[in-house]
Amino acid sequence: MSAPRIHGIVLSGVGGQGVLSLAQIVLEALRRSGLHALQSEIHGMSQRGGSVHAQVCFSEGPLTSPIIDEGSADLLIALEPLEALRYVSMLRMNGHLVVSEEPQINMEGYPPIDDVYAALKAVRGAHLLDTEDLARRLSHKQAGGMALLGMASRFLPVSPEVWQDVITQRFEAKGARVTEKNLEAFQAGRGLIQETVGA
Amino acid sequence: MTQNTLALGVEAVGCAAFDAGIKGAFGYPGTPSTEGFEFVEAMIQEAPEGRVARWAANEKVAYDLALGVSYAGHRTLVTMKHVGLNVAMDAYANSALTGVRGGLVLLVADDPGMHSSQNEQDSRRLAEFAWLPCLEPSTVQECYDFTWQAFELSEALQIPVMVRLVTRLAHCRAALRRRAILPPTGLGLAPKDTIQDWVLIPSNARRRYVDLLAKQPRLIERLAPMNRLVAGGSRQGVAVSGMGRAYFDQLLLEYPALAALPRLEVAAYPVDPQLEAAFLAQVDEVFVFEEDYPVLEERLGLRGSAKVRGRLDGTVPRTGELTPRQLKNALALLVAEAKESITLDLPPRAPRFCDGCGHVDAYEAMQEALANLGVPETRVFGDIGCYTLAAQEPMGAIHAVVEMGASISMAVGAALAGQTPSVAVIGDSTFGHSGLPALLTAADSDVNVTIIILDNRVVGMTGQQPSQALDQVERMALGMGIPEAQLQVLTPLPRLHDANVKAMESALQHPGPSVVIFRRECIQSMRRGVLKDHDRELKACAEQVCASTEARP
Repeated sequence: MSAPRIHGIVLSGVGGQGVLSLAQIVLEALRRSGLHALQSEIHGMSQRGGSVHAQVCFSEGPLTSPIIDEGSADLLIALEPLEALRYVSMLRMNGHLVVSEEPQINMEGYPPIDDVYAALKAVRGAHLLDTEDLARRLSHKQAGGMALLGMASRFLPVSPEVWQDVITQRFEAKGARVTEKNLEAFQAGRGLIQETVGA
Repeated sequence: MTQNTLALGVEAVGCAAFDAGIKGAFGYPGTPSTEGFEFVEAMIQEAPEGRVARWAANEKVAYDLALGVSYAGHRTLVTMKHVGLNVAMDAYANSALTGVRGGLVLLVADDPGMHSSQNEQDSRRLAEFAWLPCLEPSTVQECYDFTWQAFELSEALQIPVMVRLVTRLAHCRAALRRRAILPPTGLGLAPKDTIQDWVLIPSNARRRYVDLLAKQPRLIERLAPMNRLVAGGSRQGVAVSGMGRAYFDQLLLEYPALAALPRLEVAAYPVDPQLEAAFLAQVDEVFVFEEDYPVLEERLGLRGSAKVRGRLDGTVPRTGELTPRQLKNALALLVAEAKESITLDLPPRAPRFCDGCGHVDAYEAMQEALANLGVPETRVFGDIGCYTLAAQEPMGAIHAVVEMGASISMAVGAALAGQTPSVAVIGDSTFGHSGLPALLTAADSDVNVTIIILDNRVVGMTGQQPSQALDQVERMALGMGIPEAQLQVLTPLPRLHDANVKAMESALQHPGPSVVIFRRECIQSMRRGVLKDHDRELKACAEQVCASTEARP
C-alpha cells in the first residue's frame, strides 16, 4: 500500500491583510478533522506591507516537511491578485486558485490591473472574487479574507461544523457580533462554489 | 499529563523550557527567535510561582542573566537569533569553561536565506568553537523533546547546551504533545568547593579548559543515541540533519525506493567519528543535506573515502535556504508538473514604512538639513531596525548598515578620517543594545559627528516589545558625556518639519559631537496600545508630583 498523499495549500497576500491568521484557521480546521498538518510562515520585514506567504501541508499520515515543492499545491488562497500570480507555479496541474480581485497598490511598477486579471483568468481552476463588492454588500470591511476561505473550504476535507467551530473560536474574544459577521462572510464565499472536492 | 497544543518550533522550545521547570527566561528580540521567548513569557505571566521572564538590553546581558540563574542552582532558558549569539559570544564561550549549575539551554534561531538578517552564519560552528553541544531538531515535536533533553544533558555534564533552529522550523506550526510540568525547583547555589571553577583567572581557566576537553568523550557518548545510521543496499548514501532530515524523511514517503540509500541521521553535535566511519564504509558516494554551512559535508569529505556531494561541489547551491526541490534535483527524482508560470513581469513588493511613521518625518528633516548645508558626498551610517528601510530607493537616506550599534562608531571613525559632518542614525532599542558604549567613545571624540536617535519607544520591527531605553534616552546620552547644549529632543511630525530642519542644521554645524533625539511612538504600538498603561501611570505620577509641588507654600 502506498503512503497517503500529501496535500498542500499556499496562502499569499500583503502584510497586514491577515494571511497568517487565515493560515492558522486552516491549520486548526484540518487538525480538528483528524489530519496531520503543518504550517510554515515567514515573518519579519514582511510585516511592513511587503509580500507575505504561508503554506499548509496536510495528510492522513505523519508529515515532517512544512514546505511544499513547486507543482505540489492543491490550492492557492490569495488575498491580492498580484500576490496570487507569484505563486501560480506552486499549483499542481489540477489545483485550484481562489483569489481576491482587489489590488493593493503600495509598490512601484504594479502592472496594469487588466493584465493581472487576464493572467489570473488564464489559470485553469481559478475562482476570482470581487471582495470589495462583497464587503459592501455585507457591510463588513474585512469580509474578503473569510469569504475567500469560504470558497476555499469547498476544496478541503473539513466539515461545515468544524469550520463553524474554528471560526467561532478564533473571533470569540472580539464578541458575538464580530463572530457573526465573519461566519456570514465565510458562508457567502462558500455559497459561490457549488462543486465539492474531497481529499 | 500530556496535552495537545499548536505551536511554532521556537514556541515549542519555550514551552518545553517552562515544562522542564525553568526559573528564568531571558532574551533579546530577533527574527526568527522572538516568539520563543514570548511564548514562555506568556506562560510565566500566567503562572509565575517564582519564575521570571525578562527581555534584556542585549543578547550578552541576556546570556549572563541566565548564567546567574544557573549559578544560583536553577534551570534557565536564553533566546536569541544567530547574529545575536555574536554579541553574546564572550559569555557563551567562557561559560563553557565555568560550566553551569542549574541546566542552561540556549535557543539560537539561524536564518539561512537571510529572510530578515544581515548574514546566514551557522551557529553549529559557534557551538563547535566553544566545545559545546548543539542539538538540532527537525520537527516541532523534536523542538520540544530536544529542549527537555538539553536540560538533562546540561545538568549531567555541567555545560550549557545549544538548541539550534532555522527559520523554516522556527516558524513551522504544528501540534505538540507536552509532558507533565516540573515545578521550578533548584539544585541550590554552586557549592563552595566549586567557586574556583567560576573564577576564570588564568590558573583556574587552564584547569577548566582541560576539564572541558575531558568532557568531550562523555559528551559524544551521551549524544550517541540521537545520531544514527540506517543501513541500505545501495553504495550511494545520504547524510541528513535539521531541515535536510525533515525534507528527506518526507521524500521517503513519496519515493519509497530512497530507503535503499544508507543514511546517516544527525541530530546532535559533536558527532561520533566512529559513526561517521561506519557510515562511510557502506558508501562510495554521499549526498549531504544540511541547512546553512557545509558542516557535516566537510567532516565527511575530510576522510576522503567517498565522493561527497553537497554545497561544496555545487550539487546543492552554495548559499541560501535548503529546499525540498534541491533534494529532488540532487537525487534526480522526477518532479511534479506545475501549472504554467505567469509571463507577466511581477516586480517585488518590498516592505515599506507604515503610513504615518515618525521615522519618515525624521529622515525628511535630516535630508533637507544636509541639502541646505550643501554637504557634498553625504554618507549617513545606519543601523538595524525598521528605519533600515530608508536605505531603499527612492529614499536612499542611509548608506551603511552592518550590525547592531555600528552606526555611531562608524560615523565617529569616518569623522576621525576627515569625512565631516558625519551622521549616525540609530533606534532607541538598538541604542540601548549596543549604542551606549559607542556613544561614550563618540562623546570623547572631539569630531563633528551628529547622532540621530530615532526613539519610537518600542522594539518596532520585531513586534513592538517594550524598549529597555524607554523614557531614558536623553539621560543616557547626557550620562555618556554629551553636553546638554548639544542634545536636542524633537518630535517628528510633518507640521514641525521646518523647525526640525533648523534644529538638524545646527547639530550638523556644531564642530563636536551632538545628539538629536526624534521621539514619537511607533504607529503600530500606538494602535495596539502597548504603552497605554505605562503612559497612564507616568502621567498620574507626574500629576501627583505637580500637585504636591503646588501645595508647597
